[in-house]
Amino acid sequence: MRRHNIRPRSGWQATVARTGLTCHTLADGTAYWDESAYWEFTSAEIDRLEAATAEIQRLALAAGDHILDQNRLGEMKIPAAAAARIRETWNSEPPALYGRLDLAYDGRQIKLLEYNADTPTALVEAAVTQWYWLEDCFPKADQFNSLHEKLVAKWKDLLPYLKQPVYFGHDGSEEDFMTISYLRDTAEQAGHRTIPIAMHAIGWEDAHSRFVDLQR
Amino acid sequence: MRKSREVPISLLATLALFTTGCRTPETRNCVDAQGHIVPDIDCQVSAPGTGYHYVYGGSSGGHIGDFVYGGSSTPSDAGVSRGGFGHGGGGDAGGE
Repeated sequence: MRRHNIRPRSGWQATVARTGLTCHTLADGTAYWDESAYWEFTSAEIDRLEAATAEIQRLALAAGDHILDQNRLGEMKIPAAAAARIRETWNSEPPALYGRLDLAYDGRQIKLLEYNADTPTALVEAAVTQWYWLEDCFPKADQFNSLHEKLVAKWKDLLPYLKQPVYFGHDGSEEDFMTISYLRDTAEQAGHRTIPIAMHAIGWEDAHSRFVDLQR
Repeated sequence: MRKSREVPISLLATLALFTTGCRTPETRNCVDAQGHIVPDIDCQVSAPGTGYHYVYGGSSGGHIGDFVYGGSSTPSDAGVSRGGFGHGGGGDAGGE
């Protein structure tokens, strides 16, 4: 694994914004998207990272089984009132879409820092912006990056499971909005109809005991 | 090759044209009956009639005690209540 310094593309801010990464600069003016350097990996290193990722996913699911089998939800500070629904949901194995593993890697050891599986951000830059950067800078090089195809493929798998349209909730921040907009893009490429909605705009209609959107 | 063959983005690219910088398009503040910002928890646990309510949009300093100018209350179409999901403005609004 090697780090290379490189000159950022001219006008990179507008370039990455066109790929959906509008949150490219922090409030203090420093770059969040920093293309003054890139990392080069060997195929063997990527193989190790990919294998570790699969193993962590397997272990995370095993941990979920263990917590429920051994009745340890309370130790996880899960309210008792939610336990039955969590168990029901877990056992029904609803389809999952994506998660983000934060790994530390020094070229030798791989260490898990965090597993963020609740619609994590960093998706736009990982799936789209990095790919377009490579096309601009090293079009003949390979990249461990096929998130886009995998998301579209997963949405196709989910077509029989989801009622249309599919709603994408966001909390009002631009970063979240662009993340769900990209997810909508991949879902629509797979054949879904999508609608974005702010979480606080989701309504509850007492008379029919149902959630409603802004059309109601 | 492990990289995607192509990454077509149409919806995302269109929406990106209408955004500038990493701004928050809408804020929501919990305010007291006089319109001063109070902790979000007050709107979540207070009984009706206490005066605590959410204001969407508007302008303020964004701190507890600041007055919110303008903005609007939660959409209140008949028979439908909103605002039960999501969290208020201020703090770390972005995802992780």
